[in-house]
Amino acid sequence: MKRLSQAVFLSMTALVLNVQAAAPDNASAQAGERAREIWHQQIEGGYQTLSEKAGEFAEHSRHWCADPATGSRSDVEQAWQQAFMAWQAVRFVDFGPIETDNRAWQLQFWPDPKNLIARKARYLLSADQAPTTDTIAGAGVAVQGFPMAEYLLFDEPFNRGDQALPAERSCQMLTAVASHIAANSEQQLSDWRAFEKHYIASEQYQDASVRAGMNALEILEERRLAQPMGLRGTGKRSAYVADAWRSGKSLATVEATVRGLKTHYLPGLELLLENSGQPGLADRIRGQFNEVLENFPALDTPMAPLLADDREFSRLQGLWVDVSQLTTLVNDQAAVAVGVVRGFNSSDGD
Amino acid sequence: MIPLSRRQLLKAGLAGGLAATLTGCSLLPRKTGTLPDQYTGAIGLPDGGFGVGAIDRHGHLLWQSPMASRGHSGCNRPGNQEVVFFERRPGRSFYVINAGTGARKHHIRAEAGEHFVGHGVFSPDGRWLYATGSRYEEGEGIVTVYDAENGYRRTNTFDLNGIGPHQLTLHADGDTLVIGLGGILTHPDYDRIKLNLPSMEPALILMNRKNGEIVGRFRPAHHHQSARHVDVSAGGKIYVAYQYQGPLHEMPPLLARVENGQLREYRFDDDTQAGLANYIASVIAHPENDLVAAASPVGGTAIVFEGASGKLVSKAGIPDCAGIQALAGGDFLISSGRGKLVRLGRDNRPLELASLPVYWDHHLV
Repeated sequence: MKRLSQAVFLSMTALVLNVQAAAPDNASAQAGERAREIWHQQIEGGYQTLSEKAGEFAEHSRHWCADPATGSRSDVEQAWQQAFMAWQAVRFVDFGPIETDNRAWQLQFWPDPKNLIARKARYLLSADQAPTTDTIAGAGVAVQGFPMAEYLLFDEPFNRGDQALPAERSCQMLTAVASHIAANSEQQLSDWRAFEKHYIASEQYQDASVRAGMNALEILEERRLAQPMGLRGTGKRSAYVADAWRSGKSLATVEATVRGLKTHYLPGLELLLENSGQPGLADRIRGQFNEVLENFPALDTPMAPLLADDREFSRLQGLWVDVSQLTTLVNDQAAVAVGVVRGFNSSDGD
Repeated sequence: MIPLSRRQLLKAGLAGGLAATLTGCSLLPRKTGTLPDQYTGAIGLPDGGFGVGAIDRHGHLLWQSPMASRGHSGCNRPGNQEVVFFERRPGRSFYVINAGTGARKHHIRAEAGEHFVGHGVFSPDGRWLYATGSRYEEGEGIVTVYDAENGYRRTNTFDLNGIGPHQLTLHADGDTLVIGLGGILTHPDYDRIKLNLPSMEPALILMNRKNGEIVGRFRPAHHHQSARHVDVSAGGKIYVAYQYQGPLHEMPPLLARVENGQLREYRFDDDTQAGLANYIASVIAHPENDLVAAASPVGGTAIVFEGASGKLVSKAGIPDCAGIQALAGGDFLISSGRGKLVRLGRDNRPLELASLPVYWDHHLV
């Protein structure tokens, strides 16, 4: 452990702190309200897409499971992917109705270091009673979202076994999970609409909104990329640490998240930056979003082969560097410019 | 939310170190209570590591002692040069440290199926250590008892009949443990997901420390007022601070004290409530007067109010403030995750006393 400097930093001069955060002046209060209007509208669009795509996924699952001979598995997989990517686009929103009943966790239980998804799936599939929507509703967050559906659709060992879809019991579970996802997505859209007046009237949600994007970028850089790439912790590369490894969509989710942030988050932030006299920074951030997105569709590929081959790995490093630069621009520079900080204690939760 | 990354800590550390000013001619004020000339707290280090650190009144680092993971709070052992620090929830262990040298004397691990939650308190004679904890498979809150005179051997376990205890302290009567029961069910396998928000039953619990009998259980007005932090004034007034689990735009009371057998809640003006951001990380009742201080790192606000009247007397914007110490003479010292130590008292003139290149993690003891 690095020893701290023994230097004394006492500053007993009468440095009086600003006793209260200065009340925002009229212009910045108006800009804040306008930013919240933009954010509300943009995010509503994202939830709308999620609700539609989740509904389609549920419908495709029902259809295929009702008659596997005429339905198409690849349609179900495709629908799962579209709904999951719609979720990635709004996954950054960590405040408001999405907090109700751990809805974000219900939609995507991750990380899952103990592989609860597989354990819970095996448990439910071997239970006396076939899983129903009620079973899923009462079975906890690991069962209720996209990763469980992904397990049923894409897990290789599972799909080599005799319970592989479209086996009846597994199909019952898939349709129940898909319908839970659809119900939650629809509820979230309706709750977000009802939340509008509070969101726009409460200044506190400005910080919450800016922080939401910062957190999402931090999680993206550190936990969704650096960790599987072995740049953190044990230093071991592991695709299993990333999300959506079963479907090989870890990197596609990165693209969807970045695209979602650009569409649903950036416009409100840009307005605040312009109001703070930082239009240049807003331009640089927009440019960096584009830099990140230029890695796609070339990198819309499973992560595991990229981790296994050093030459391929450098493509991943390129993406990580681009994401890091975006994170630095938003979390360090833009956050300071609009007066939002995340602290050691404030992000702890105890 | 996730903790700051190492990259950010490093950046913040460098910036903090460069920004610190050196005058070096003055002293930090004396604390009240045990070891009045020393401040000890869990710290985050600029290199991303964690430990416990103590400074003297010159602001000199007396020692630092490593911890395997992030710490939270601790307690000084009365009549003995020992300080105990707990790992952050879900804590797997606590450390017993020589308060004079920083040398580690014991490293006590939680028993199988249990974890600590970051807080403990000693009996007045320094023999028994009481620590809040959880049997996580069952979701049962417990108080565990350790014998400090026998190598911190586990001697007893008291059930709280509730979920999610956090801070505990000892009442001025010397016999009653005062415990904040957050009411929130979590499980180490599920990160920090709150598993029971609709059915939370938070409470302020009073427990006889000798036999574990629950002698009082007070419920906040709203079941989303998660009771986390507690303190007792010298005169025996019991205070509790909440972290509200409902939406940000609802701004219910966050502080209360026991009066006439129930919780009297304090609500301040909307600006102050907004500044507290539905989240209090510490509450301290001053042993020398009627003042009470509370700090919110989320809102970056610390306040001081009168216990009897509920009148707000001071408010300061201090980014990431969390720890509070009562100072000899009647004021408070607020510590922040940015290494600041700020004096705050009745005069509502916050004074920055020190800026250290260290991240004070929550509570100073």
